[in-house]
Amino acid sequence: MYRWLDERLDLKGLYHKVLRKAFPVHHSFFLGEITLFAFIVLVLTGIFLTLNFEPSIREVKLPDGRTVPAAYASVLYIDSLPFGAVIRSLHHWSANVMIAAAFLHMLRILLSGAYKKPRELNYLVGLALLGLAVVTAFTGYALPYDNYAVTATRIGYGIANSIPWVGTTLAQVMFGGEFPGSEKSIPRLFSLHVLWLPLGLMALIGLHLAIMIKQKHTQPRYAERVAPGKILGVPMYPQQMVMMVILFALYVGIMTIIAGAFLAHPVEAFGPPTPQTPQVKPDWYFLWLYGLLQIIPSSWEFRLFGATIGPEFIGGVVVPGVLGLVAVLLPFVDTRKDKMRYMELPSEHPVRTSVVLALLVFFLMASLAGYKIDFQQQGSILGENAVLWTLVLGGPLLTFLVSYVLMRVFYGKAREGEAL
Amino acid sequence: MYRNDPILPTFALILAAGLFYAAYLDGQHIARLLGHVPEKLSVGQIGLMAFGAVLLLYGLMGLVSYWLEGMELRPGRHFPTPSTAPVAAGVILVLLLTALSGFFVRLLVYAAQTGHNPTWLQGLIFGSISLVVAALFGIYRRFFGREEVITEEEKSEFPW
Repeated sequence: MYRWLDERLDLKGLYHKVLRKAFPVHHSFFLGEITLFAFIVLVLTGIFLTLNFEPSIREVKLPDGRTVPAAYASVLYIDSLPFGAVIRSLHHWSANVMIAAAFLHMLRILLSGAYKKPRELNYLVGLALLGLAVVTAFTGYALPYDNYAVTATRIGYGIANSIPWVGTTLAQVMFGGEFPGSEKSIPRLFSLHVLWLPLGLMALIGLHLAIMIKQKHTQPRYAERVAPGKILGVPMYPQQMVMMVILFALYVGIMTIIAGAFLAHPVEAFGPPTPQTPQVKPDWYFLWLYGLLQIIPSSWEFRLFGATIGPEFIGGVVVPGVLGLVAVLLPFVDTRKDKMRYMELPSEHPVRTSVVLALLVFFLMASLAGYKIDFQQQGSILGENAVLWTLVLGGPLLTFLVSYVLMRVFYGKAREGEAL
Repeated sequence: MYRNDPILPTFALILAAGLFYAAYLDGQHIARLLGHVPEKLSVGQIGLMAFGAVLLLYGLMGLVSYWLEGMELRPGRHFPTPSTAPVAAGVILVLLLTALSGFFVRLLVYAAQTGHNPTWLQGLIFGSISLVVAALFGIYRRFFGREEVITEEEKSEFPW
């Protein structure tokens, strides 16, 4: 059988060219692999969900006599199937894990300088992947059409609508009309969530992996000592493939146990949409944006070329836009002349490491600001706008200074001539 | 970033435990404010647990990689020596896998017949099946698989 296939497909050639590729070994590469595993599980569980989900808000009658939107009823049906609730919960948890893992993967890239020559392009593809993963997760959030999901999605609709000149059109394209209310919203979000955005993700993941295979991993530093100038690793087949099976099984095992024990979005508890708006917050990966919206005063509003620039646009679009632009420009600002082969140690780059830590604190403090109303209700000092502004701006600054001084004290001055 | 050490993965596991505990405390705080235990996780709890899960996975994978692949690679081949203990462990794990699979099917039949879905048990059993599969492959990789470390030229003709 093997000989028959080999004569026709040159399997030996495939083995020597592809399956003998060397895979460097380092635990920090697993953050990217966890992101990939989460995506695979999302696709597999998503296939099961699409087979049972009805993307419509037409009214249907439940066996208990309640009249609810069809999308909501179909999610109740999925939850009633044997193992159905666990699969839906696993889908929900994997979406959260994919974004968290992609974010930590990006932090690893930033801390080890892996965005430098020749990997600038792949870094940009990775940034696009992170952005697309967040948008894909957001489009899935409204689909159960429960009271919580509808209210949380409305915040995103408001941000999209607030973009000057193009906001209304963008909101129409994304939501198929006014959200909530338009009958086209759920079918539109459904097709984006299960078809167009996953296709985009698959294409970008394929490109990301292809470029990575061509350019090779950045290697752990010790490889320079063991095999200078070469790629040191284990062959893709059989070792790396067996390792991937082990890690994927580990992912599925741990995440299924978590998904079964903690149902992430129990629609029965939230109930179908009602005219009363429940007090909700967007998902955690939007909480920092929501926090900025909470602390930007409503007086920050002006007119520009006939459009209104308001706090929603400033907090929801301008700030993330500026951060995104800085991220895109980074590999063209922090450069090196020779090809980067080995991971840089964070301790050797105190400025860069301190900036990354400061960015992390900014996200944390901005997310904390998302609880402003809760703090006010409890009479906490954290409910004050001035305090939250101090934390959002002062926290990162203080982090940078403390981190930079500590690293200089413990690791000495950075070598001369090194960027950042 | 220097070598495939077990230190960072171990710290990731400790941090993961901290994040899960923070999520638990958040739940306690919310329950105190509401006067009852809510049926759902809060946004903060989901965020903490998502990062906790990633760090838990990262820590476990890092330690598995350290166990199977070592701290530093050295070019060469290594052939495993036959041993009885891993075979015995494999047989026990296969028996466990069979028992868990049978129990999982019974659980599904029970849910279909009664309409009662014990999600925590379903998740636990299916997750355990997957973990046993991981352990079986781990034993194969550690005690039966050919160990090989290679070097490759930086320039290659794949994929183009």
